[in-house]
Amino acid sequence: MKNALRNPAAYLMFIIPTIALYGLFFLYPMFSSVFYAFTNWNGLEETKFMGWANFETAFGDRNFRSAIINNMYFIVFSVGLQVPVIVLFALLISNVKRFKGFYKTTVFIPSILSTSVIGILWGFIYDPDIGPISAGLKFFGIEPIYWLADSKWAMIAILLTNAWQWVGFYIVLILAAILAIPKDIDEAAAIDGANATQRAWYLTIPLIKPIISVVVMLSIAGAMRVVDIVLVMTNGGPAGSTEVMASYMVNKAIKYGDYGYGMALSIIIFAFALVFTAIYQLTLGKTERIEY
Amino acid sequence: MKRNATVMLTLILAMSTLLAACGGKNNNNGTASSSASSSASAPASEAASPSEETVEPFTVSLRHIQIGDPQKFRKAILDEVVKRTEAEVPGVTFELDGIEDAVNRFTKLPAEMAAGNPPKIFDLFGGNADALKYAKAGRLLDLTPIIEELGIKDKFLNVFGQFTLDGKIYGLPIGGSVEGVFYNTELFQANGLNAPTTWDDLVKAADTLKAKGITPFAMGSQAAWVPNMLVGTLVGRYANGFPNGIVTGDVKWNSPEVVSAYTLYQDWVKNGYFTKGELGKSYDDMLNDFAAGKAGMMFDGSWRSSAFKEGAVAAGMAGKVGFVALPALPNAAGDQTSLNANFSNGYGFSSDLDENELKAVTSFIKNLYNDEMQLRGLLEDGVLPSMKLSDESLAQVTDPVVKQVLDVMKAAGSTFVHFDAIAQKPVYSETELQLQKLIAEKASAQEVGDAIQKVQEVENSK
Repeated sequence: MKNALRNPAAYLMFIIPTIALYGLFFLYPMFSSVFYAFTNWNGLEETKFMGWANFETAFGDRNFRSAIINNMYFIVFSVGLQVPVIVLFALLISNVKRFKGFYKTTVFIPSILSTSVIGILWGFIYDPDIGPISAGLKFFGIEPIYWLADSKWAMIAILLTNAWQWVGFYIVLILAAILAIPKDIDEAAAIDGANATQRAWYLTIPLIKPIISVVVMLSIAGAMRVVDIVLVMTNGGPAGSTEVMASYMVNKAIKYGDYGYGMALSIIIFAFALVFTAIYQLTLGKTERIEY
Repeated sequence: MKRNATVMLTLILAMSTLLAACGGKNNNNGTASSSASSSASAPASEAASPSEETVEPFTVSLRHIQIGDPQKFRKAILDEVVKRTEAEVPGVTFELDGIEDAVNRFTKLPAEMAAGNPPKIFDLFGGNADALKYAKAGRLLDLTPIIEELGIKDKFLNVFGQFTLDGKIYGLPIGGSVEGVFYNTELFQANGLNAPTTWDDLVKAADTLKAKGITPFAMGSQAAWVPNMLVGTLVGRYANGFPNGIVTGDVKWNSPEVVSAYTLYQDWVKNGYFTKGELGKSYDDMLNDFAAGKAGMMFDGSWRSSAFKEGAVAAGMAGKVGFVALPALPNAAGDQTSLNANFSNGYGFSSDLDENELKAVTSFIKNLYNDEMQLRGLLEDGVLPSMKLSDESLAQVTDPVVKQVLDVMKAAGSTFVHFDAIAQKPVYSETELQLQKLIAEKASAQEVGDAIQKVQEVENSK
């Protein structure tokens, strides 16, 4: 057996099947989509090489540009509003004495639900005729809001639903980091007279900075590729007001059968996500390793 | 020696792992769904070995859109046809795959066509964006020899326009429809309103209903094909040569005539003639609002008549629904007696069929396209026949709404098809997006026309 492992052929025999599968299901689709991004392939007619035409069309396309802006809303909302809320809740839950498990479980539940279920559930909550929000507004004599039908509100409605879905997951992530901080640091600060807010602000948050940074990066990446919640709740409507890059790509590629253009859009989305996460990693995301 | 043996053993192990991972389950009963693999036809063609006396069981995939309660009458007819065909063709089992109309038409079928693995039989729309496009790519079975062999070619009305390419027929419309105004006769009587047969009566009815807190027109614009029905008829009434002229360049979307139609639509939105929050309402919501008496009228296709009979989804409305053509518009240039009438939906068949499947398809066509089923479609489901029916058969119609639909059809001076059959797909999609913008008041009628015309010109130049 020892001798067999010294033979390079033996290694190859194990590696080749895996490499072949990896190539078939990962490399081949990736490179073929890059190739098709430069064509007008629609599956039915003759495929022609188009050069950069698809990319030029994409950046000249008003609807795609508004989809990019909607993705930016997702980023701003998830980094600017969601992350502080996540940290706050994680701090609160880490300090409760009883039912900690219960809180952890309840905040985590939305992230294990399927997006379709969440879309339908929130579609009901937002319903202007029978939804509880409208009922609440009516109680105060306010006209019902057409959350998903009004282009002013639809984006906000989706952002809130998306936040509801993912906040719990990140809370649990941060909570784990908080609970991993040795208790004696906190106790020492308490003995020195620091109150709970001071301890949270000057001790806990700096100590969990690396994990907050990961959460921010995951939020950015998530915001760049968000699509399912949009497709389920509004399908990009009303009048394209909630269209994001990925839903626009799905519609262009699948609904219009314009696969070449769809591939070009997917590469643009990939490039955007890469650039944004890289910028973050190289600037704000730089954190030092913390050792206790 | 020992080392070589170990290497060999390793090789065998590695190869068997690879083969086990790559091997498919090649059983010949063909129960795998047609969309499961890109070579879905392989198991079926293996199953069919013509040299054998007894035919091995085989399956034929059938994609239909008759799902949900509103379509139950149509589904019953389809089930009957499937049953008869299965009894007639030895070995065949149909594998029914019911999918929502728009998902099939705009998402699933196009993807399958691109991949080259559509079901053997599928619901198909006619026109440039559907049947003709697939026919050009060689995906559809030429049905001309089959309907000639069955002797039914001349029994069809003049309905193959949207399914014919180079003289060959690629799809068989199951029936026809006209688009017009359904109105709640009870509400109209209670409010002292005349049937909306003239423009003044229609506008008066809308204003009166609105003043009473009743929505004049139920509308569900979440999917923009729904309001596009009314837009199609309005544009047809305003612009001569619509919709055929859009691809030839004779009719321009940003011409004053077409813009007038969009302006009228937007005026109605601003007047509150449509359901509030229509952009969030589905096609089913539209029917529900109308059936619940929340709205007095609704613009829809004649196929909806089947919803208003005993045992149907809006059975409560039985006997309380009227149907009229959209009345003549004042100051509009088009033919004011023209109607939007379509024979655009039916069945198409994959060009990739083996001998047995072809037999099954021929039998399916024979069982579906005949006087009996056409009459059943008309009587049970309110679908206008695509084949010639005798006067006696037509006289059997008792449903009041269907009777009115037939009257409306008879009174029509001319008909034109819905523009989704003429416009190229990107153009049609643009009309949907722009119409939603118009409804959301994010674009003016002129801006809508300009935006659509821009896409139209790009497509026309291809």
